Amino acid sequence: MKVLVAVKRVVDYNVKVRVKADGSGVDLANVKMAMNPFCEIAVEEAVRLKEKGVATEVVVVSIGSNAAQEQLRTALALGADRAVLVESNDELNSLAVAKLLKAVVDQEQPQLVILGKQAIDSDNNQTGQMLAALSGFAQGTFASKVEVAGDQLNVTREIDGGLQTVALKLPAIVTTDLRLNEPRYASLPNIMKAKKKPLDVLTPEGLGVSAASTVRVLKVEAPAARSAGIKVGSVAELVEKLQNEAKVI
Amino acid sequence: MDFKLSEEQQMLQDTVARLVRDNYGFEQREHFYRSEAGFSRAFWQQLGELGLTAVPFAEAHGGFGGSGVDNMLLMTELGRGLCLEPYLQSQIHAGGLLQQLGNAEQHERLLPVVVSGELQLALALEEPHSHYHLQHVQTRAERVDGGWELSGRKAVVIGGHSAGLLLVSARIRGDVRDEQGISLFLVDAQAHGLSRQVYPNIDGPKACDLFLDRVFVRSDDLLGEPGQALPALRYQQGRAIAAQCAEAIGSMEEACKLTLDYLKTRKQFGTPIGKFQALQHRMVDMRTELEVATSMAILAACVADQADSEERSRRLAAAKFIVTRAARFIAEQAIQLHGGIGMTWEYNLAHHAKRLVMLSHQLGDDDHHLRAYAELLQSA
Repeated sequence: MKVLVAVKRVVDYNVKVRVKADGSGVDLANVKMAMNPFCEIAVEEAVRLKEKGVATEVVVVSIGSNAAQEQLRTALALGADRAVLVESNDELNSLAVAKLLKAVVDQEQPQLVILGKQAIDSDNNQTGQMLAALSGFAQGTFASKVEVAGDQLNVTREIDGGLQTVALKLPAIVTTDLRLNEPRYASLPNIMKAKKKPLDVLTPEGLGVSAASTVRVLKVEAPAARSAGIKVGSVAELVEKLQNEAKVI
Repeated sequence: MDFKLSEEQQMLQDTVARLVRDNYGFEQREHFYRSEAGFSRAFWQQLGELGLTAVPFAEAHGGFGGSGVDNMLLMTELGRGLCLEPYLQSQIHAGGLLQQLGNAEQHERLLPVVVSGELQLALALEEPHSHYHLQHVQTRAERVDGGWELSGRKAVVIGGHSAGLLLVSARIRGDVRDEQGISLFLVDAQAHGLSRQVYPNIDGPKACDLFLDRVFVRSDDLLGEPGQALPALRYQQGRAIAAQCAEAIGSMEEACKLTLDYLKTRKQFGTPIGKFQALQHRMVDMRTELEVATSMAILAACVADQADSEERSRRLAAAKFIVTRAARFIAEQAIQLHGGIGMTWEYNLAHHAKRLVMLSHQLGDDDHHLRAYAELLQSA
C-alpha cells in the first residue's frame, strides 16, 4: 500500500510570533521555521504503518517555496522514502492546496493519504476535508487511532464528548489529531540517509492547476492582552458578579 | 563568509534541540542532579541510540566524522538545557585522545563501545597543584613486569565516578614540569588501588578526585609512545575548549532570554521594569557581549579540527578568554537585573549563572589563556 503524507512548513511552535506593524500578517523575518506538528504526527503514522509491513512506500509532499525542501528532508530523515515539492511562492489558501494535492494524488495513486488536521499558522482545518471532497475518497478526520483491516481502515476519531470509530473503504484520507502518536526524533544515521533519497520538484502549472486565491486576508492582529483578574470573597459574591456584571448566568 | 548551515546540520541541530527540550525541563534536571549518577543515564542512552554520541568520531572509527561546527551545534543545545551528561569530557575530549593516540588494537577494542555511548570515558589530567598546566604531572608511572604501576592524585575528574574507563596522565620520567616524559594510560574504573572522592561541582555535574596507589596498568593500555603524550593532550584540549565555548553560548542565550522575559514581566512603579532605560542599557550590553562571544565560538569551532599550529592555539586561547569573559558578565548582569530571584535554586537562571561562572575554572582560566595568547603573539 502506498501512503502519501502532506506536510507544511510553518513557524516553529516554540517561537512567539509577532504581528507586522501594518497588520498585513505575521513577521517571518529571521524566524525559525519547522514542520507543522500535526504533519509530524502524520509522517510518524505513515512510517509506523511501513514498519508494520502495511505500507510499502511512504511519499511526502509539500507545497510552498523552495525552502520547504528542508521540511521534506526532515520527513525523509524520519523514515519517508521519497519526497515531492510543488513549488509555489504564492500565498495559497486551503482550496488551492487541496486542488494541488488532488493533482499529486492523481499522479501517485496512493491508497491512503495522511494529513495533519490543521496547520498551526492559519488554523484552517479544511485542507483534508476539501481533498476528500475533490478526490471522492472516504475521510476520517481527527484520528487518534488508525488500523488497517484488509481493504478497510478503522479510524478512531476524537469528537466532542468521546471517541467515534469509523470504517473507511480504501483509498481514504485521514487527518491526524494530537494523540495519534508521539513522533520520533530523527537519528543521525537517518539524517545522513535522507540526503540520498529522491526529492522531485513540480510546479502548479506543470500539474495544470490554477492556484489563484479566492480568499484575501484583510487584517491580522495580536490577541488582546489579558487583563488582571480579581479576587472574590465568597461563592455568593462570585455568583452575583457572574449574574450582574458578566451576565453569563 | 557563509554561515548558513547545511540541511544535515540543520536537522542535527533540530534533533538535539527537541531532545533537550523534551527531556531536560527544569524539574527533570533537578531529578537527574539528585540521582546517584548525577545525570540521566536514560538521556545518555538516547543520545547513543540516535547516533549523537558518534558525532565527534571519524567515519573510519564508526563515527559520523562530525566537524568542529557539528560539535558546536550539539554542544550549544546541550548548554541551553544545562545538560549534566559528560558529553564533552567523554565523547569530544577523551574520545579525541583515544582516536589520536590509540593504536589499531586499542581502536578496535574500545572505539565501537565508546562511539555507541555504551562505555563512558573520563579524563584525569589535572592535579591539585597543576593549575591548568597540562605538563604539570606529579603522578608517576613505574615500569613493572607486564605493564606499569601508577601512583599519585588527580583532581576534579568530571564524570569520573560513572565512567567505565579513565584516561590518566602520568609521568614516566623527568621532573614535575618537564614537557617530555608524560604518558596517557587507560585505567579500568574498578582497578585495584584506585579510590575516589566524589562531590558535585557548584554548577551541577559530579566530579571526583582520584587517588592512585600502585594501580597496575597493562602494557597494552598505554596510549601512544611512552612519554610523548603532551602534544596530543594540548591538541585535544583545544577541541574541548571549542566545544566548551559552544556550550557556553547555549547557556548565555538562555540566560539572556530569561532576563529579557523577566524585564518585560516584572512590574515596579506601575510599569514593566524593562521600560527603564538604565536596565535597557544593561540588557543591550549583555546581548552585545553575547554576539562577540558567539563570533569567537564559531571561530573556535572552525579551527578546532585544523592541524596543530601556533595560530590555532592562539585563536582558541582568544576564544576561551572572550567567551569566559562574556559568560561571567552575562551571569552577573542577569542576576543584577533579576534581583533576589536570580539567586534562587528554584529558578533556572541561578543554575545558568553558576554554570557560566564555572566555565573559567575549567580548561584554563582567564589569566592562563591571556598569558598563552600573549606568548603566542610574540612568537607569531
